[in-house]
Amino acid sequence: MKAIRQKRLITVFVILIFSGLGSFLIFKALDSNLDFFFTPSELIEQTIPENKRIKIGGMVLEGSVIRDKTNITFQITDYKHSIAVNFDGVVPDLFKEGSGVVALGYLDNGIVYAEQILAKHDENYMPPGMDIEK
Amino acid sequence: MLIEIAQFLTILSTGLFFLNFLFAFFFDSSDRHMASLVSKVYTHSSLLLATSFFIYVWLAVSDNFSVLYIAQHSNSNLPTFYKITSIWSAHEGSMFLWILFLVLWGALFNFVTQNSQDLKVKSMGVISIIIVGFLLFLLLTSNPFETILPIAPVNGADINPVLQDPALAIHPPFLYMGYIGFVIAFAHAIAFMVEGNPSIKWESLVRTWSIAAWVFLTIGITLGSWWAYYELGWGGYWFWDPVENVALMPWLAATAFIHSLSVSSKSSSLRIWTILLSIIVFSLSLFGAFIVRSGIIDSVHSFANDPERGLYLLTFIGILIIGSMTLFSSRFSMLSSGSVIKTFSKESFISINNIFFGVLVFSTMLGILYPLIYESIYEQKISVGAPFYNAIFVPMAVLACIFLFFSIGAKWQRKLVISSFVNSISISVLISVFLVLLAYKLLSIHGTWELISIFAGSIIIVRYLFVIWDYLSNKKYSNPFSVIAHIGLGILMISISLNNELSTERALNIKINQSDTYQGYQIKLTDLKLVKQPNHDSIQAVFLVTDPIGNNFYLKPEKRKYFARGQITTETDIHVTLLKDIYITIGDQLKDGSWIVNIQFNYFIRWIWFSAIMMGFAGVMLIVSLNKAR
Repeated sequence: MKAIRQKRLITVFVILIFSGLGSFLIFKALDSNLDFFFTPSELIEQTIPENKRIKIGGMVLEGSVIRDKTNITFQITDYKHSIAVNFDGVVPDLFKEGSGVVALGYLDNGIVYAEQILAKHDENYMPPGMDIEK
Repeated sequence: MLIEIAQFLTILSTGLFFLNFLFAFFFDSSDRHMASLVSKVYTHSSLLLATSFFIYVWLAVSDNFSVLYIAQHSNSNLPTFYKITSIWSAHEGSMFLWILFLVLWGALFNFVTQNSQDLKVKSMGVISIIIVGFLLFLLLTSNPFETILPIAPVNGADINPVLQDPALAIHPPFLYMGYIGFVIAFAHAIAFMVEGNPSIKWESLVRTWSIAAWVFLTIGITLGSWWAYYELGWGGYWFWDPVENVALMPWLAATAFIHSLSVSSKSSSLRIWTILLSIIVFSLSLFGAFIVRSGIIDSVHSFANDPERGLYLLTFIGILIIGSMTLFSSRFSMLSSGSVIKTFSKESFISINNIFFGVLVFSTMLGILYPLIYESIYEQKISVGAPFYNAIFVPMAVLACIFLFFSIGAKWQRKLVISSFVNSISISVLISVFLVLLAYKLLSIHGTWELISIFAGSIIIVRYLFVIWDYLSNKKYSNPFSVIAHIGLGILMISISLNNELSTERALNIKINQSDTYQGYQIKLTDLKLVKQPNHDSIQAVFLVTDPIGNNFYLKPEKRKYFARGQITTETDIHVTLLKDIYITIGDQLKDGSWIVNIQFNYFIRWIWFSAIMMGFAGVMLIVSLNKAR
């Protein structure tokens, strides 16, 4: 009986160690791969390292869109503060001035260099944190 | 009048299904008459519900816009096909379809099995009470029969244009058939634990059903991936969107489940684990419904936010999970088989595979829920994207492939003698090392994980080719389903790696009659046409593409404007070749008249879907052979 109990104890112990180690690794992977979401006002209050991938959400400021060939720059605004975004490529169909948009990219010298521009497949979509009425 | 009849039939069937649950659980289920009564009541109530659904289809086809839901999601200009599919384009109607499928699985099971089959009565009872749960959800929180009175609108608001697509019309039905198909296994697991007779082999009773549901889920996910690829214009096959993830979790758990079923239908080892998995798979399927329909998570797919629906579903799922887990723990001693799994037997390898699947499900769940938890603690919005999932899935998949590789040739309940496979194992490794070197040198694949994944995929494929060779030359038996499905896995590993490393894209700026080159391809914008369609106008750009060898082909992407909602959509055009897709979309027109054009070379993307189809095909073959053997 004693031998069996000892064996069981060892098994439980091994399982605990492995699942602990596994969870540690998973949470570590999680923590180093989070994309933080900011509104322009929040972005101005905080300092964000340049190599950190972030998401900026807000509205495309009216009259701010400048196109040069495939390159596009515009301002994302929450009607308190604005931040410039630069992107190279095709913007989504629902991207237009005065509509909601989310940019995913890196901040450098006050400009967000976006890898991806998202506009939702829903014309009534408002990005999170935008509770204001226009 | 028809609307009221349909609604009445649904209410009536709800009552009958509840009655059926009472019959099955509170009367003597070993009584032959009782068994036949349960079976008959089930058939009748499912006929009532199916009739109600068909009336609803008719209401949609005949443009009855006094039904609020139809007025909001259909339009008289739509082709009949899309009038029907508009039923599952939003919450209420798709929930109705979900319930119809749930009822159909039960009806099919009821139809093909003898009333005297073990556990049948109680399983029918479990299915009936789950149907009642969903029907009440439908009628109380999301009634598709709600009307606009007294005056109906002249026309409907139209289905979202991106949903007017054949692949998307069949993607939800396949997915729902998959999700809800696991109800048969779940119901049997519950019935088995309630009956408490360990000699009943519930695992072999549900094997065909579970594999069928798994095939539906596999094909459903693949269809969704294919649709997103060509319709959304982003060019990827998987975005780690929360709603894709809630479909992936039951698939992963179900894959572990059907593997465990094959063990426990032969011997009763792994029985506890199999029961647990059947509960997990079904709960995850329902959890998916909760995530999509509660609006708790922000996603491309989610239906409108409604806390009441979310609360109902959460309570319902909670009751099911707590109930079944309580039952599970109270029957734990009955379930433990006492038989020990031999190291290096086939069972032992499948147990290890279950651990991998478990980790993947856990991580995916974490990725979905972590933003919610994080926001409530730190008041900071975050999202979990592809990098996290890649960091978990890639190493796990590679490890799983390596274990699979060494397990090939393992026997049930016997220790695997690796030494008898030394030749094929070492030759597979050598060939794979050679292939990896080729990929490194010729295709310039330099990503470490990509190279490792190619290695992992190719050892499996080559090793299985040895198995096939052994079968052809020495008539040595091998399980053909396992061979096909796992070669599919190998192809999946390799094609995902190649796709990831080789695919490129570039935005170009082209005026009419001008051309630009990208990667040796010359792309000339030759024409712009305005095409008029019944429900939309479209601008079609005609590109003449010349490949490096000098072959020409046309690509005609479009921009569409749909009348009913004024929505603008992009239609991609794709030139498919064996190794890569040439994928083109048009963006906006600039002030100088030039167009923004996005061109992508997507390598091996067809192979990704092909591998999924191979897995699904293996499942279909297995179902056929299991039924023949009976």
